[in-house]
Amino acid sequence: MNADVHALTGAYVLDAVSDAERAEFERHLRECEACAQEVRELRETATRLGRAAAVVPPPELRAAVLERVGQVRQDPPQAAVVPLRRRNTAWATRVTGAAAAVLLVVASVLGVLLVQARGSVDDAEARAAAIATILSADDARISNQGDEEGGQMTVLSSRSVDRALLLADNLPAPPAGHDYQAWTIDDQAAHPAGLLPEGGDAVLEVDDLGGARMVGITIEPDGGSAEPSTAPIMEFDLA
Amino acid sequence: MGDRVRRPRDAGREAQEPEPDGAELLQRVARGDEAAFVELYDLLIGPLFGVIRRVVRDPAQSEEVAQEVMVELWRSAARYSPERGSAMTWAMTVAHRRAVDRVRSAQAAADREENVGRRQLSRPFDEVSEQVATRLEQEQVRRCLGTLTELQRESVVLAYYGGRSYREVGELLDTPLGTIKTRLRDGLIRLRDCLGVAS
Ligand SMILES: [Zn+2]
Repeated sequence: MNADVHALTGAYVLDAVSDAERAEFERHLRECEACAQEVRELRETATRLGRAAAVVPPPELRAAVLERVGQVRQDPPQAAVVPLRRRNTAWATRVTGAAAAVLLVVASVLGVLLVQARGSVDDAEARAAAIATILSADDARISNQGDEEGGQMTVLSSRSVDRALLLADNLPAPPAGHDYQAWTIDDQAAHPAGLLPEGGDAVLEVDDLGGARMVGITIEPDGGSAEPSTAPIMEFDLA
Repeated sequence: MGDRVRRPRDAGREAQEPEPDGAELLQRVARGDEAAFVELYDLLIGPLFGVIRRVVRDPAQSEEVAQEVMVELWRSAARYSPERGSAMTWAMTVAHRRAVDRVRSAQAAADREENVGRRQLSRPFDEVSEQVATRLEQEQVRRCLGTLTELQRESVVLAYYGGRSYREVGELLDTPLGTIKTRLRDGLIRLRDCLGVAS
């Protein structure tokens, strides 16, 4: 990231950046409290520009909005933390015989790998090997969930390999001071399975699935918790 | 401009009449309270529609975007948290973003005339639509915009009211992109200080 990244607060607040720049700057905002504070202030400032432009809206707009609102279901309260919901097309499948699904996931995995490769080529290669190992297992399984804004999480798993890979794609940032934490969940308890690395695109390897029925994701205070303190925002059956 | 017709409920605002608390309304809306949503609509729609109209320009499309924005506020009210800013700011952020998305998407941007941006500079407030912003709010903003350098002011106005990317602003003003970025930031900071926005 270049040296004048902090100078982007103004353009960011005014929505004068490209989608790619926005995503990158939002990543920066999670790590730079000075910019985050400045963004809050400049947003309030921009709001004053907006208020000064207020006009009387067309009267029919009110009825139209109220009618539509009567038909739109609200996000559940847990979305107060993060806007992730199962979407209608959530799918889970065994790999064998589901070529289309495999292609989708491989494409998404490659995307994640490319992002990751910026950090280290060795890491990317190791990860590709891990993915190949899981996918070549007879009991390989893929599940995917996403939200309407395009954020999604894909889980590749295999019991015989005893390993799962969690691949986040464009996931919204957790609330300030929080992390996404993964859990392996069996009939007795949820066991900590690691924190999702920061950034909307991230990969987490989970070894030792044990007798877990599913993998869950919760939002926990920075650094994670010994046991889940909130309900999972996502659950993936390992079946 | 200040003595345009205003709706009766807005007329008294300059006398420090307290507005309904947007944050509280949003929290009620998050619990599915439709009456609270009606109040929220009345509180927000004037400024939101004003901004959308400025950026989108086309009246029919502005109405569509305004509808989308209000429905999104209803749907995602539970995501609002007061410590991140006022309800108005949260809503305005959604509205400006949606309006900008609309004009940037495909055709719309290409169809706009080259010189529209320049013309906007001479009239930062819409003189066609009926104003509901209070005279005090407008005067403050106008005065504070006046404390900016010309390049700062033009950049901020083109980006905010014109929905232009900083690249487009750079082209319109024939100025290097790095300079535009810093002018946008410096301009907003100067506005923040002039308007007395609390940190
Ligand atoms: Zn910074």
